[in-house]
Amino acid sequence: MALSLGYVFRETRGNLRWNVTLFAATIVAVWVSLTLFGSSLLIREGVEQATGRWRGGIEFIVFMNADATEAQHAAIRGALDENPEIGGYDFVDQQGAYNEFITEFADRPELIENVTPEILPPSYRVKPTVDDADVIEALAAQFDTRPGVRQVTLPVEVIRTLQQNSQKVSVFVLIIAIVVLLAALMLIANTIRTAIFARRQDIEVMKLVGASNWYVRLPFMVEGTIQGVIGGALAIPMLFLMNNLMAGFVQDDYLELLRSLVVDSAVVWNTSLLVTGIGAAVGVVGSLFAVGRFLDV
Amino acid sequence: MIELDQVTKIYKGEVLALYSVSCKITKGEFIFLVGPSGSGKSTFLKLLNRQETADQGAVWIAGKEVGALPRSSVPKLRRLVGCIFQDFKLLPNRTVYENVAFALEVTGRSRQQVRTQVPSLLELVGLSKKTHSFPHELSGGEQQRVSIARAFVNRPPILLADEPTGNLDGDTSNGIMRLLAEINKRGTTVVMATHDQNIVNAARRRVLRLDRGRLTADEAKGRYS
Repeated sequence: MALSLGYVFRETRGNLRWNVTLFAATIVAVWVSLTLFGSSLLIREGVEQATGRWRGGIEFIVFMNADATEAQHAAIRGALDENPEIGGYDFVDQQGAYNEFITEFADRPELIENVTPEILPPSYRVKPTVDDADVIEALAAQFDTRPGVRQVTLPVEVIRTLQQNSQKVSVFVLIIAIVVLLAALMLIANTIRTAIFARRQDIEVMKLVGASNWYVRLPFMVEGTIQGVIGGALAIPMLFLMNNLMAGFVQDDYLELLRSLVVDSAVVWNTSLLVTGIGAAVGVVGSLFAVGRFLDV
Repeated sequence: MIELDQVTKIYKGEVLALYSVSCKITKGEFIFLVGPSGSGKSTFLKLLNRQETADQGAVWIAGKEVGALPRSSVPKLRRLVGCIFQDFKLLPNRTVYENVAFALEVTGRSRQQVRTQVPSLLELVGLSKKTHSFPHELSGGEQQRVSIARAFVNRPPILLADEPTGNLDGDTSNGIMRLLAEINKRGTTVVMATHDQNIVNAARRRVLRLDRGRLTADEAKGRYS
């Protein structure tokens, strides 16, 4: 027996009309829960993005002797080009190094006076493709002993600290997001169950006049989907609002940490779509389970 | 049409509802199921539309063992077995028309069929002028008529009535009985549980008497005292 779309539409419309309060209560539950969950996701994304940005900036520097031969430079460049773990490098010649020196010590002219480009070492600023501290350390060590190399420097302690902390923060925020999601699911499921409990007698009558389980379920599932989608959609402006509020702190130096958590609007849209999808899924599944309890007539 | 073969039903907590009940009901009969409260009348009816299943023995309807039907076939059974209840069980948010139409819609009938069949049923039960009323705007007798229209709109071969006059006064009860007799005359088997002696004695139909779950009497043109 085919389910009539007209029947499902009329039943769903009737359900909405007769149970406005519980319908609205479910939407609010979905809205608030998914706003919290989406916010947790955005914060996690912000943390990932911020630490990624810091990590991406990590490079090691191969300082060459000021008198290194062109052959020694060519050997270093060849080794850098061949290594798959090296994403790229910039060569800073002696004049470049001097320019940097001038900028760095602009407030100490006595130092600048005593330095000329000829005594400064040229260098390769190497950007690894990996961000693991151990790998970068091993990579840097490969260049330390090559002819013409004066010294290789890398901020390994900084990398290690950053790595450990960003992992901790990321896992911590993820745990919060999961806990919030579980709380959200329980809250939404409970609200739907309350709404359907109020109509258990309707369901009993439907079953007694010969309605199949799908005839009873489907309007409730459509209703649950509508509630989930509306609740999820209402969470979208909240997520943008939160992101924009953090962006608003840009002017305030004391809240620099928050500023770095601001994510691109594309990320907010993706999170919004995910949150709305979860809302719809929770609505459908929640209704399915809640109705199921009363179908055994 | 309907056969119970040594049916026993025990509810949780060891409450004996029916014990080794056997009987046959043929097509087109009008049966009174009588006995005091707790004698097993409602359980008898619930076994016929698979609201309950027997713990022992078997219930047969139209050649099929009701207890052995898969869950997916229960809706089909219920379209063969219309039900009316003492408390009417109408959907309070729907009009008279919608309450009756609902029983057709859930069986997949087209809107056209619904539009033609519902008014004729409402005419049969005398509620043509109350089509757009809601249940709370109707008297008890009128609500029971809606319930009968809903149960009969699929033209089921069997109609179960569980104390349909239990909440109604004498005159209204008589009206309901006339309606059930009319439906029975059209070929539908009616099984009605009641403890209203006046109704049973006036009708002089077959009477099955239950007492503490046991079938103690089965009389054609029986009386109830």
